[in-house]
Amino acid sequence: MRNFLGRLKKYSKVSYFSFWFLIIFYLVSFFADILIPYHFDYQFRDKPYHPPSKIHFIDTEGRFHIKPFVYETFVDDPIFRTYKENYSVRYPIKFLVDGPERNVFFIFKTKKYLFGVDAPAGIFLFGTDTYGRDIFSRLLYGSRISLSISIIGVLISFVLGMITGGFAGYFGGITDQVLMRIVEILMVFPSFYLMLSLRAMFPLNLSSIQVYFLIVMILSLIGWAGLARIIRGMVLSIKEEDYVLAARSLGLSHWRILVFHILPNTFSYTITAITISVPGYIIGESALSLLGLGIQEPYPSWGNILSSTVGNIRVISDAPWLLLAGAFIFIILINFNILGDALRNVLDPKNW
Amino acid sequence: MYLTRKTGEMEKILEIKNLYVGRIDGTKILPVLNNIELSIYKGELFCLVGESGSGKTTLALSIIRLLPKSFRILSGEIILCNKKITGISEELIRGLRGKLVSMIFQDPGAYLDPLFNIDTHLRESFHGNPVEFNQLKIKVITEVGLSPEILSVYPHQLSGGQQQRVLIAMALINNPSIIIADEPTTALDVLTTKQIIKLLDQIRIKHNPGMLFITHDLNLALSTGTRIGIMYRGCIVEIFKPNKEKPLHPYTKILMGYSEENHSDISDTTLMDTKQETDEKCIFFERCPEKKPLCNRKVDFIWRDETTGIRCIKYGQNSQM
Repeated sequence: MRNFLGRLKKYSKVSYFSFWFLIIFYLVSFFADILIPYHFDYQFRDKPYHPPSKIHFIDTEGRFHIKPFVYETFVDDPIFRTYKENYSVRYPIKFLVDGPERNVFFIFKTKKYLFGVDAPAGIFLFGTDTYGRDIFSRLLYGSRISLSISIIGVLISFVLGMITGGFAGYFGGITDQVLMRIVEILMVFPSFYLMLSLRAMFPLNLSSIQVYFLIVMILSLIGWAGLARIIRGMVLSIKEEDYVLAARSLGLSHWRILVFHILPNTFSYTITAITISVPGYIIGESALSLLGLGIQEPYPSWGNILSSTVGNIRVISDAPWLLLAGAFIFIILINFNILGDALRNVLDPKNW
Repeated sequence: MYLTRKTGEMEKILEIKNLYVGRIDGTKILPVLNNIELSIYKGELFCLVGESGSGKTTLALSIIRLLPKSFRILSGEIILCNKKITGISEELIRGLRGKLVSMIFQDPGAYLDPLFNIDTHLRESFHGNPVEFNQLKIKVITEVGLSPEILSVYPHQLSGGQQQRVLIAMALINNPSIIIADEPTTALDVLTTKQIIKLLDQIRIKHNPGMLFITHDLNLALSTGTRIGIMYRGCIVEIFKPNKEKPLHPYTKILMGYSEENHSDISDTTLMDTKQETDEKCIFFERCPEKKPLCNRKVDFIWRDETTGIRCIKYGQNSQM
């Protein structure tokens, strides 16, 4: 592992940064339950479309305060929903604030939140949405769904693709024919419509967890076909390599040759393919949620946070913070692409 | 030139009887190996010499039963350590590979998996008890003249000679009865070649396996082999002992520079269109400087005694009489 990091750093500083960025991002999303200041469906009914709170260190009289603080806000213009700060009372940001009771990791219940301010003021790092829910909390909580769907989905389709492609390429003949025809049938359909029709096969009134697993299944079912095809091609060429002949001359079984000698030699490609396809899963989930077929309200995912802005052109001018989910998708996507490109070089022993 | 040669006790390790191998090309079957007669004894270094395309590698691959898909063993028997390996299932033969017979290949770089270090390569080769492996790997790797530090190194970080030594170590680790070396020195320079040959000779004397050494370098074969087989167009035309007798077959004489090739009757087509019409006349008919009208018929391989033989009417019959 240390070698790996060293090589990654040597290969490029940017990819090294991307690697740690993604690790931290995934950790943050894993601990989202702990880090959020509000529960994801807690509504500030009087504060819809609230812009990101201003955090102050210096009060109106010019005094500096060590503890950052916010002011309470009130609606200034009810038509355009502009807010003004009430400078009379300071609300310092506190740690471990009491709030409504909630579940953490489905294990224990608590009333404590990591940070926050006293009522009636609110701290909205990324503003609020139509119902006055804190976007920051929803984004963090939603990242858990979006990021875990992508990882689980990618792993499932990777395993499926490896098995099918490996078998088809190595054994050839009728196995190859049957498996590749199945793959082609899957690839014939435009993936987005396939995704929609697969979703349409299931009822709409599923629980969130059911929907979650359904989406993982749908996304990985679509994703494995292309991977299987490319792995088959690689296996076809690798099995003619001399070291495979050498492995056979050592008396190794077909299974062992396939799993230990041929498939690892496709990793230089597959690892890149995986990291590059992760964003595809995030986008796939977003697309389903955007159309209302994915994760249902009030549960947040990056897709359905974005979907709340659909058909609401005013959002772009008046509440651009609602588009932050898109920015997060973009950042994750870029980092995965950079990392994927670097991994191909770093994991190949020939470059060591 | 190298260490003392001894044929050892005459225990047959490999016996090939009347082997025919063909390549399937559509509906036709093109003969690749014809009427191969060969036996290899324990502790000997049998050199197989021939031009490119004469079927040396095909013969080696049919012994280990790793022929490419389009190739078939048509008839004949291969007996390895008293086990008949023609006609038995792939599962059974797999158990013999590496244990009874192991192979050293031509281009060592290509035959090592680029993703694994040398330790993994040896572990993959080893068929026995994993507990013994850790002692054995050090023993084997020092025996082939490498330091144990090399175990953690990846193939591309080694030189050609070192890679070849690793392949030899992999072939050696199960202590097989026969080692087939398919042109192991072709990709190496002259000095490394000498070292590798010396190493193979040392191993042969120490562990006493039979060795089938395939090369196209006749001089190398003459200086190393205990017996030499000459291949031409899919047939073994002569088997002789280099230090005891002079070869007799016209082709061998040409190879050794004793006589000139008969160019008059050779057209490009007869050279290109090899491995056919062998039933009608002697395979060497067109190029033979000593041909007679008598040669215009099928000639079989004739054993002169237990270990040597020839495929030529003129000399074969002489010795039989």
